[in-house]
Amino acid sequence: MQTPGPAAVELVDITKRFGRVVACDGVDLALQRGRIHGILGENGAGKSTLMKVLIGLVHPDRGEVIIDGQSVTITDPIDAAGKGIGMVHQHFSVVDALTVWENIALGDVGRLDPAAVRDRVGDLSRHYGLAIEPDARVGDLPAGMRQRVEILKCLRRDPHVVVFDEPTSVLTPAESEQLFDALRRVVDEEGRAVALVSHKLEEIRHATDTITIMRQGSVVERIATADSDAASLARAMVGRWVSLRTERAALGLGIEEAATVDDDVDDEPADARDVLELVGVSARGGDGRVLLDDLSFEVRAGEILGVAGVEGNGQRELGDLLSSLAPISAGEVRVDGRPVRCGVAGAMSRAGIAVVPEDRHDSGCVLEMTVAENLFLAEPERIAPRGVIDRRRMNDAAIELIERFAISCEGPDSPLWSLSGGNQQRVVLARELSHEPKVLIAAQPTRGLDVGAIEYMSDQLRLAAETGVAVLLISTELEEILDLADRIVVLSRGRVAGEMTRRDLDLERLGLLMGGADVSELAP
Amino acid sequence: MTDIVAQPAENSPDEILAATRGRHLVIGEVVGLYVLSIAAALVLAGLLVAVTGGSAADVFNALLDGSVRNPGRWGLTLGAAAPLLLVALGTIVNSRAGLVNIGQEGQLLIGAAFATYVGVRLPGPGPIVVVALCGAGIVGGALWAGIAGGLRYWRGVPEVLSTLLMVIIAAQAVGYGLKNEGLLLSAAGNRANRNQVSEQLASDTRIPRLTWFGNEFPTTVFLAIALAALVAFALARTIPGFRLRMLGQNPRTAQRAGVGATRYGMGSMLISGGFAGLAGATMLAGGDFGNYQLVPGFSTNIGWTGLLVALVARERAVAAIAVAFTFAGLRTGSGFLAATGVERKITDVVQALLVLALLIPPAVLYIRERRRALNAAKERV
Repeated sequence: MQTPGPAAVELVDITKRFGRVVACDGVDLALQRGRIHGILGENGAGKSTLMKVLIGLVHPDRGEVIIDGQSVTITDPIDAAGKGIGMVHQHFSVVDALTVWENIALGDVGRLDPAAVRDRVGDLSRHYGLAIEPDARVGDLPAGMRQRVEILKCLRRDPHVVVFDEPTSVLTPAESEQLFDALRRVVDEEGRAVALVSHKLEEIRHATDTITIMRQGSVVERIATADSDAASLARAMVGRWVSLRTERAALGLGIEEAATVDDDVDDEPADARDVLELVGVSARGGDGRVLLDDLSFEVRAGEILGVAGVEGNGQRELGDLLSSLAPISAGEVRVDGRPVRCGVAGAMSRAGIAVVPEDRHDSGCVLEMTVAENLFLAEPERIAPRGVIDRRRMNDAAIELIERFAISCEGPDSPLWSLSGGNQQRVVLARELSHEPKVLIAAQPTRGLDVGAIEYMSDQLRLAAETGVAVLLISTELEEILDLADRIVVLSRGRVAGEMTRRDLDLERLGLLMGGADVSELAP
Repeated sequence: MTDIVAQPAENSPDEILAATRGRHLVIGEVVGLYVLSIAAALVLAGLLVAVTGGSAADVFNALLDGSVRNPGRWGLTLGAAAPLLLVALGTIVNSRAGLVNIGQEGQLLIGAAFATYVGVRLPGPGPIVVVALCGAGIVGGALWAGIAGGLRYWRGVPEVLSTLLMVIIAAQAVGYGLKNEGLLLSAAGNRANRNQVSEQLASDTRIPRLTWFGNEFPTTVFLAIALAALVAFALARTIPGFRLRMLGQNPRTAQRAGVGATRYGMGSMLISGGFAGLAGATMLAGGDFGNYQLVPGFSTNIGWTGLLVALVARERAVAAIAVAFTFAGLRTGSGFLAATGVERKITDVVQALLVLALLIPPAVLYIRERRRALNAAKERV
């Protein structure tokens, strides 16, 4: 470990409230030059809010930001950039239609000198080992490359402090490794300060020098990475000892470990029939881009099939397709051997496909309707004999589901928006499972949930599979797939790049498959 | 294992109590907001009257006299309220489905034209002709709105624009019809000096009128009120109503749940236009508008005002009954303003001020609700 340099930026006693909830409660944080500072915490622990204070997206109720010993007010991200603070966001803000160098030049003032910008991009990418073609169109690049554009955009302004917000969620394991190498260079050779925000324990331990752990808006522990061990970090982060396999996977506590606990997996019964079949399914976007490309796989009764892959390789389109939201240009979707029409309202649902969608607010629930109404969106007939909704029957049935799925709400009449995210997710799950589906699609089912909610969701998926439902788990969190899936297919550029069962799991091969056609580009 | 799982916080009785108390506070606030906002509108209207040299009290009295107080006046007001309510009901249906239909004025006019055509030509017993001309009105209005709906779902034309622009086309089309004896124009012998007028409905093909306490009004009033109850019930309690609301709030969730936007959206447009068309037909056969004859400009802003009624009633069918009566009162009351020396147009301004006054509290509440939801969302991030 290096000797601590002077603090490049210091946050002192930062407090920020949103309504009754305290997102940050008197948080102190000092980012030192020449060090990578890990900020670890669950979803909702306040780490994002803290970082938003640093780049001026959130203005604190109390506390101050100190740069080089001077207290400053950061009004907005542009102001922050001027003061030498840059951030690489989890969600990219790049323009698809422009090339790499054009994206990097965006926001410049004065005369544009394409040649100079292009050269500079080349220099930067060589210097940091972030190989990229300056003239490539950003829309054609995979997520890992788009992130490089973001990073180069940020580094070109020569910031003293760089914040990375959950940077690995869009990367393959190999790409993550390269990113951390580049970070090391930024810190060691140039003495910048880096903050790495993550909820994944393993990468924080792997890539940082110091760790600050946040829980419920407060700092619960500060520790040098070298002195830390995984179990106690996990404990500090969650607030109790973590022992369950699912939870450990949720925390990113060792891919290897999740993958090796394998002996308790039974062989699939030989007679398990295919329930959901996709045969040569292709789909194009409105702009003619190929979204799904000759995609074929099948899910058997009682198994969990994991669809692994880096975000942006067709996961969303696959989820939309199975939610009756998108048509296809070729191929067929079958349930129990019978073809289902694609893109026709409610067809998938009627065929017995239940979906816990990637974004529940987008296609999973209606925020303005009540909990009870949301529980019967797809089949109002069940509470409406002769076409008229029977209030009493609806409330009774809703209360039964609320109890069965332990949904925390004021009652069946409360509007759905008044529930927490985890409970909204339970409403969606309760509705989908109460229809006795043949197939259950879970797309990124634990995104944005806290550890307790993740545990619950995982249990429900296992339970559904045990009762004979064919479960399709679409997830970009490899740990989640490894923890739950009986069989894994890897989605890359809209097609199945490879398949493996838990028995012959090969992590290295899995990683390469996830990288898809990028394998060649990954080589230095 | 539940003891170690971080359970989402259950609501304690205290919290629930606090939430309920909060709700009472909200109701108080809502009433307060409305009172404040209407008072502000009245003060502004009074100032305006004073500036133009009138007396606010006189104007207020004249409006009351003209709309309800003087003999026979509330019957007139009811007669104007009925079509306003019908238009508003249609608007409520398409708004709930998430569509913006602002072409009721044109749909109403086309409905009236269809009703005229059928009413003056269809032979047969009076009551049957009345039903048939109302049916024709519904078909005409639905057709006019349906064109906009079709453009939206099969050609991607925003219905806000198409419905609005088709008002102008409707006026031209009816004008053309009123120049051709083969279409709407009355035979030459029956129209004296006036050029563009249709044949008058025969006395047995008119909607019956009642006289209560010296106030005469068409029986359409009861039809409109019954339909308001029906729309309220259908939206709240029937499966199609449930699906329409789902479509309006979240089209993608609706699509997944089997509610196709084209089918239900198109249906809501047809219903909406049908209501406007029915309003036109009943105006023609009800007697309060145009002496049972179609003339150019027959719709006289009933479509536009009906749109405002739906807006102010915040898409609630039962509330629309009261709002329709209020707006009809402003309409009939304005006839008495001449005696006060104040420009008759002042009622338009008063009406606009009232609309604003009634729209501001919901907007304020909406913004606050959104902000609360936003904060709730932020808490979870």
